[in-house]
Amino acid sequence: MKLSNLKGCAAYMALGLGIALSASAASAEDAPSWCGPNKASLALLDGFGGNSWRLVTTASGKEEAAKCPSITDYYYADGQGDTQKAISDINSMAARGVDAMVVFGDAGPAILPALTKAYRSGAVVVPYRVNVGGEAGKNYTRFVGADFVYDGESWGKWIKENFPDGANILFLSGPAGNSQGLDELKGMKNILDDSYKFLNPDPFAVTNWDPSLTQQVLSAAIAQHDNIDVIVSDFGPSLVGALPVFANFDRSIPALATSDGNSLGCFWEKTHADNPDFKLFTVATGNDNVRLAVQWAIAEATGGTPPSEEIFKAPNFEDSTDGDPNPVQCRSDLPGAIYLSAQLSGDEQAKAVGQ
Amino acid sequence: MAETTPHSFGGSMGLSSMSLSKGFVTIVASTLALILLCIIFAPSAVTAGSLMGSLPFAAVLGIVGLGQMLVVQQGGFDLSVPGSVSLAVVIATHMPNGQDAGLLPALIIAVGFALAAGVLNGIMVAYFRLNAIVATIGMNALLFSAVFAISGGVPRITTNLLAHIAGGQTLGIPHSVLFALAILALVSFGLKKTVVGRRFEAIGANPKAARAAGLSVKPYQAMAYVAAQILYCTAGILIAGITREPTAFQGNSLLLPSVAVVVLAGTSLLGGRGFPISVVIAAFFLNQLSQFALSIGVPYSAQTIVQALALVFGIGVYSIEWTTRFKKEQTSSTEEENHETV
Repeated sequence: MKLSNLKGCAAYMALGLGIALSASAASAEDAPSWCGPNKASLALLDGFGGNSWRLVTTASGKEEAAKCPSITDYYYADGQGDTQKAISDINSMAARGVDAMVVFGDAGPAILPALTKAYRSGAVVVPYRVNVGGEAGKNYTRFVGADFVYDGESWGKWIKENFPDGANILFLSGPAGNSQGLDELKGMKNILDDSYKFLNPDPFAVTNWDPSLTQQVLSAAIAQHDNIDVIVSDFGPSLVGALPVFANFDRSIPALATSDGNSLGCFWEKTHADNPDFKLFTVATGNDNVRLAVQWAIAEATGGTPPSEEIFKAPNFEDSTDGDPNPVQCRSDLPGAIYLSAQLSGDEQAKAVGQ
Repeated sequence: MAETTPHSFGGSMGLSSMSLSKGFVTIVASTLALILLCIIFAPSAVTAGSLMGSLPFAAVLGIVGLGQMLVVQQGGFDLSVPGSVSLAVVIATHMPNGQDAGLLPALIIAVGFALAAGVLNGIMVAYFRLNAIVATIGMNALLFSAVFAISGGVPRITTNLLAHIAGGQTLGIPHSVLFALAILALVSFGLKKTVVGRRFEAIGANPKAARAAGLSVKPYQAMAYVAAQILYCTAGILIAGITREPTAFQGNSLLLPSVAVVVLAGTSLLGGRGFPISVVIAAFFLNQLSQFALSIGVPYSAQTIVQALALVFGIGVYSIEWTTRFKKEQTSSTEEENHETV
């Protein structure tokens, strides 16, 4: 595919430049059902594009868009974590007359007015993953959320299976009060009764998804609690630097229920022999959420059939106890910062993250 | 005495060696009090295992704090800490790309970038008389653009060699702590026992007087920024080793604490005398404070408040001349009493 040649343009992405691509390479016969006959242009707008997860997600979105020959132009803009820039990106895409926009609304409801304006000017607007408030049909076309309660339930089921008599759980999530962590907790509580005790301060231990803060939080928690049975984290790879802390206490790394990452899989392979309690269960980290959002946006803009799902549910990915659906995956020849659960192939991901 | 003038330049210049500086006594007393609190209320925060986990971060903060101290000693502020630490992290992890053989060239390049950034900062502030805050905030943006150009914002995994050098332990002591102590010794010796260091402090205390005494002021002021960048760079390389998979923005959380430890150590923000040992102890103090808050299990909001209160306490102790105020009131009241008796 011609598009892959352009995937090395990480530097341009960082600068937030829109890259126009011709997607006419894909032939009409293998067009999926969500790809209708009307010509349209598509923009992927990121609130913050500067980490490997986002780069893989961006490349996934681009790959999905390339499947539809009706997409004439493809643009990308990176809000760089700056709400003002995210808003002006949306406005400028609307002014350019882009037909469909897929928006990762990191800034939340702050970008809703810009989305509403773009929607009213006639563009198909699909925010995804982060709730931006407002309602579909009034402020934007459709919100393609991710079901984090479902993630929590998946973890809860696995914990119940492996610790049927109750367990001490340490739950780590990102910044204080983030809705993803709250939803995941809700999911776990749907499954787990009172015999499962959460050791962290309610609702979760704050790590900001920052590896160094995670390390500090974890060492404090290990020192404080003699019996951590399970660690639950919604960003598995950020634990790779922190888990060796258990060795300082002469304790085995406990069971871990989290999201996947190549570095985490490889870490498990290397260390599970010395850590008898180290069982690993992961759900897909959700890069493919963008594919569903792109399908919706393209279907609406080109007159195709919209997909049946509206919410992305992350499938289970690895389970070291029974190998269902997969045993733990590690591709040591590829960079650690990729996600083998994503549809995008490992090698394509390596290219996307610039390695 | 300098203390009695309203705008003293950081007290006496240290040449007439005072017994123990107020900053040192305060920070040591606070740290001991904190350790005592930990032993009573959160014994897990002072166990060996817990300290092994948290001390490396205190060491990194101490090194960054020493760099910030040098700049503050010249009456400046260095806001390029996040950019330069992040750049060092990114270079140390990206260029070797997991290969130990690539580590040394990467470290040399990282130091090269730090030198260039330091010299530029120094020239802008000392020679072109730009406001330090403005100059260094611009430099910070430049450094971050280099971070993006090199990494695209993507982290890479540290090489095993660097993880061993920075994250390993010898005789149960984390290597990063040994690095911090060695750097502390170097900075203290340089500042207190060499001619260059004594002139550096004198110029910081009063550039005009130093100029009148025949010292060339500008090179010393510029030097502060260069040395600071080298220290930030060292800290960044250590973070890259301690954190197996660092983000490309690892320096962001260090800016405020770097100023905090300098203030807590009793360095005057107007420039002058520096207290390297106090800075490193203050770094330990701040780090232990957050471990304490984590261990007693207070909510995140309370953790933030506890740290903010510690800062207010630090600034309160040094910015308000409690003793002289107290003495003045005392003398005036005795005078009144004298009047009455007359």
